[in-house]
Amino acid sequence: MQRRTRWVLAAAVAIAAPLLVQAGSSPASAHGTLSDPPSRVYVCMKEDPEVPKSAACKAAVAAGGTQAFYDWNEVSLLDAGGRHREIIPDGKLCSAGREKYRGLDLARADWPAKQISSGPLTVTYHATAPHSGSNFEYYITREGWNPTMPLRWSDLVLIQKFTNVNPTQFTSWTLTIPPRSGRHLIYSIWQRVQYSEEAFYTCSDVDFGGSNPTPTPTASPSPTASPSPTASPSPSPTVRPTNSPTASPSGTWQAGKAYKTGDRVTYNGLIYECRQAHTAYPGWEPPNVPALWLRV
Amino acid sequence: MRRVLLAVVSVLFAGACSTPAGSPPPVAGSPVHAQHGPATFPANSGFNGTDVMFLQMMVPHHKQGIEIARLAKERTVRSDVRVLAAAIESTQDAEAGTMAGWLRIWGQPPTADPGSHAAHGGMPGTSAEEIEILRKAPEGEFERRLLNMLIAHQDDAVQLARMETSGGANTQTRELARRIDTSRSAQIKEMLGYLR
Repeated sequence: MQRRTRWVLAAAVAIAAPLLVQAGSSPASAHGTLSDPPSRVYVCMKEDPEVPKSAACKAAVAAGGTQAFYDWNEVSLLDAGGRHREIIPDGKLCSAGREKYRGLDLARADWPAKQISSGPLTVTYHATAPHSGSNFEYYITREGWNPTMPLRWSDLVLIQKFTNVNPTQFTSWTLTIPPRSGRHLIYSIWQRVQYSEEAFYTCSDVDFGGSNPTPTPTASPSPTASPSPTASPSPSPTVRPTNSPTASPSGTWQAGKAYKTGDRVTYNGLIYECRQAHTAYPGWEPPNVPALWLRV
Repeated sequence: MRRVLLAVVSVLFAGACSTPAGSPPPVAGSPVHAQHGPATFPANSGFNGTDVMFLQMMVPHHKQGIEIARLAKERTVRSDVRVLAAAIESTQDAEAGTMAGWLRIWGQPPTADPGSHAAHGGMPGTSAEEIEILRKAPEGEFERRLLNMLIAHQDDAVQLARMETSGGANTQTRELARRIDTSRSAQIKEMLGYLR
């Protein structure tokens, strides 16, 4: 019911979206993923995130939890605005660089894959909140790509781009798939153009039959080259400033430090006392989080 | 469904700075003096639809985060996780109060429909069923599930914050969004460390 409500809302937002023209700059979220060939998130959602069947979905849930698969239609970046290659690092293309979706980045050769061959292929995008005036781009991994290696932008070859699309709940296109052998990924980017900078990303595993080339051993980083961990000083939690019972300032506030109740710090020349134990983060500077720091 | 639709439409109109009955018309570009924000901020600037939508989405999202974080008190987790969860609870509680205060000052509705996730405008919210599954998770799985749910939740918060920093107009709200982005990103990093 909850889930259904959300879909209804998404649809309502879609219907209401044209009203935003008057607002000038309001975003409204769209939702969707490639349903055929199914994206990784769609596959594991269909399997049931609580009891996944395939080894790949089991591993993805183990790596990142179930929430990603309940929110299968939101592998998106709200502020993308076409900057995909700038803001999504290599190796994280399937998750859009979002930790929530990190299970989708697992480089495995056993993701459930649709059998396909080169030539025409009909693909279908399932949009729970379709928006007019969108651009869709479809890519396939290069011949020679290895599914057990992290996916990089340079692995992707553009198949086709569709601009100014007005998608419906299920939108299909016929792509011309180039010759490949073994396992590959079809990658898509849905970039909204009107009302929002939001973009959606999908990874769909496909299998052409035959085999992928074995990874060249020269390319892999040698494990012997790793620096010996024994040389580094062990990060001891005891370096935390101890505060004297006289309540004198115990030093300048520092992100990354663990503070406990009663600790005192200076920040911009002012003294603050810790109200609640926490690890300090950028964004949690004492004047900004009165819940954690009291000015004294 | 009809009620929900109307609620959503009302959010969108709110985004267009319509005037709710009985409240003074907010004028974009005019100073709005917030009484709830940290005193160190400069005078507030005007606001746009993105600011309003961000706050209306973020208040309930914060409250859901608090609900998840509170589960750490009921169940067995390591002390670092308990400390983090407690800090999430109190900081988000304070921020939710600040944000709700800004909406009040601006004469905007606090949410479109608090009972239906309407305020998310389609953005994810962790559903009550999912929180219930976590609450009932076996002892050996609880901490991992809690961390994964919090990571997902804060990851969504980062997205909402970036929507605001890229499209919002109000100085205070953009600054809060920037701090939400950095502090939640740091929380996620810390939590990923606990999962290793």
